[in-house]
Amino acid sequence: MVAILASQIGHGLVPAPEQGRARWPRARRFWGVTAVEQIAKLVAVLALAVAVLYVVGFTLWTTWISFTDSTLLPNYTFVGIKHYTRLLQTRIWQVAYANLAIYGFGFMVFATAIGLLLAILIDQKVRAENLLRTIYLYPMALSFVVTGTVWSWLLNPGIGIQGFVRGLGWTGFSFGWLVDRDMAIYTVVLAAVWQASGFAMALFLAGLRSLDADLYKAAQIDGAGPARMYLRILVPAMWPIVIAVLVILLQFAIKTYELVRALTAGGPGIATTLPTTVVYDYMFQRGLMGAGSAAAVMLLLSLLVIIVPYAIYRRLSARRRIRHG
Amino acid sequence: MLNKSLLAICVACALGLSSANVQAEPRITVISQWSAGAEGDAMNAFGHLVTKAGAKWEHNPVSGFTTEMMNKLRADIIAGKPPAASQLKGPEIQAWSQIAPTVNMDALVAAAGYEKVVSPDLARLHKVQGHWVSLPLQVYRVNTLYASKKAMDKIGATALPKTWDEFNAMAKKMAAAGITPVAHGGIAWADTMYFDLSLIGVSPDAYRRAIMNLDDKALRGPEVLAAFKQLRQMTGWMSPANAGQHWSVFIPPLMKGEYGFLMMGGWASGVLKRGKFEEGKDYLCGSTPTSVAKPVFDLNADGLIFWETKNADLQAGQKITAQVAMGKEFSRTFTQINGSIPARTDIELTDSTYQDCQRDAAATLAGAVAANQVVLSLAHNMAQSNSITAALRDVLTEFVHNNSITPEEGQKRLADAANAAR
Repeated sequence: MVAILASQIGHGLVPAPEQGRARWPRARRFWGVTAVEQIAKLVAVLALAVAVLYVVGFTLWTTWISFTDSTLLPNYTFVGIKHYTRLLQTRIWQVAYANLAIYGFGFMVFATAIGLLLAILIDQKVRAENLLRTIYLYPMALSFVVTGTVWSWLLNPGIGIQGFVRGLGWTGFSFGWLVDRDMAIYTVVLAAVWQASGFAMALFLAGLRSLDADLYKAAQIDGAGPARMYLRILVPAMWPIVIAVLVILLQFAIKTYELVRALTAGGPGIATTLPTTVVYDYMFQRGLMGAGSAAAVMLLLSLLVIIVPYAIYRRLSARRRIRHG
Repeated sequence: MLNKSLLAICVACALGLSSANVQAEPRITVISQWSAGAEGDAMNAFGHLVTKAGAKWEHNPVSGFTTEMMNKLRADIIAGKPPAASQLKGPEIQAWSQIAPTVNMDALVAAAGYEKVVSPDLARLHKVQGHWVSLPLQVYRVNTLYASKKAMDKIGATALPKTWDEFNAMAKKMAAAGITPVAHGGIAWADTMYFDLSLIGVSPDAYRRAIMNLDDKALRGPEVLAAFKQLRQMTGWMSPANAGQHWSVFIPPLMKGEYGFLMMGGWASGVLKRGKFEEGKDYLCGSTPTSVAKPVFDLNADGLIFWETKNADLQAGQKITAQVAMGKEFSRTFTQINGSIPARTDIELTDSTYQDCQRDAAATLAGAVAANQVVLSLAHNMAQSNSITAALRDVLTEFVHNNSITPEEGQKRLADAANAAR
């Protein structure tokens, strides 16, 4: 504790008290500034080491397990890519990836579009902006489990929206997506968009507000209408934020798990299975650690496919900014 | 002053603790999936008997499907601290005894003369390499049919259907009368169970070859196809609005006559009893339809496996618990509460606390043992290891929820999945 405080004082994070400053030279002689800095480094290195061990270490371990014949417990007999080839042939894995494509695409497009629309509407200097912003952002504060459970009630044909509208007198009304194997995956999209579009809105709003006010004025002087102003000038001007929102949403989509568990439990049948639910199923229901690890590694690879190009894009654009100064 | 008295209390505590350690009161740590309802009550009764026999009972239930409990068990085993005993069943007893040392119960079983009063099939499941490491707690008839009395009255039926043809005819009448014939929630294991029941109703022999032995010829044979056809027929009797719901949700509407039939293992009897529903007045109960003459029994049995421990108090507790679990009193108490039937074959179910449904299940078991028509349930992880069961379950649950899959296609997928998982 003392060491941390000392390092923070040393780095100017915590202002040293007046009296302390008077005594500081003596303390410095005793500890020495380099010693304080070294303690700070040591603390940082320890934290980093733990993070590396947990994230990188266990990722590597999982990858290794995916090439072994592990079942209930780890077993280090090497079997090559057997689990990968087998998994790619199983129907549940194919269904899961097809679902991920539908869900990921629908979720990203709708959450971005609704988020952008809300941000633009709120940007019109409306009254009670803070209140509206809080309301729209609120779903993000909920756990996906809560979202899934609430929407599973709303969408349940017997007790939810369908039951309510029928109770009002429209007895022919039908809204049974949740139990329709072809439409069930769209209920997952619906619930996820509801949850995340407020988050997209917050980022877009911050982006719009960070733009130079001269841009608005210039556009207005040039006679651009509101639609043209936003779509042709302001949104392109905050393009990096749009990319960031898309990437954040996509990695949300790929790692979605609790939402499906709570909303449909992967059903009806296997109609809403996602790769994450397959990983859990293999690891913890079937007791197939090797195959489950292979599924997890493939999931990680699909994340890398998104993250790596994004990182390269970031680096390139940073370099371009420096060059154009 | 205060410090001194605190010190005195601490010393007294320490002395008290150490003397307790020296005496090592027998105790048993148990994990199971039975947390609440009739199942939880039965476990509490078990604990009460163990306590009476002189061991402290520490039960930590992990609710949910059996595999949730097994995840906890695996974590405990990896941590080097398995519970002294845990619920485990079927082929998993063999598999799990490979990953952690178990306790040899041969001497205790011999002393109790227990082997003579348990059916050989059941004994085989609970032994590893010829040694008893676990004990059966109870037996359930999976192929149990519950019919709503109100729904039956409405179509003028008085007796349960004996064959699939009779069943289909009655279901058709119910559908015409505005009743949903089959109460089914649509969770994957329950979907699988309806396949179990379809196939044993066609041919228990084919079930044994196709499902228990994964014989490719049988899997692609006419009996399995007939079972898929019956299952497709039955999915038409289920409410399409039910998906991903637990079967127990349908007990109240079933009793009200909104649904006609429920097919569920005997544990539903425990739930009905706890809900104060009466057999004969509110519902009828018997075996699910079958076209073979002699009784068929689709078996689900839970066991208690004992894990090796170095603690003397736990070892003593294991001994006491095993003795209790092999006793007649336990067999009666446990099964009367949860709707199962005793693993011991020498118990008459004459007590008034038993339900007729349990007596019927016991008679079915005796008849099926004599006719060699006891089979192990796929849906309840008795027939195959978890990995193979899950591979087959994926096919069956998709078939139940997707009307566009024909029985022929379903059969092909099941056989292919069995090939891939083998």
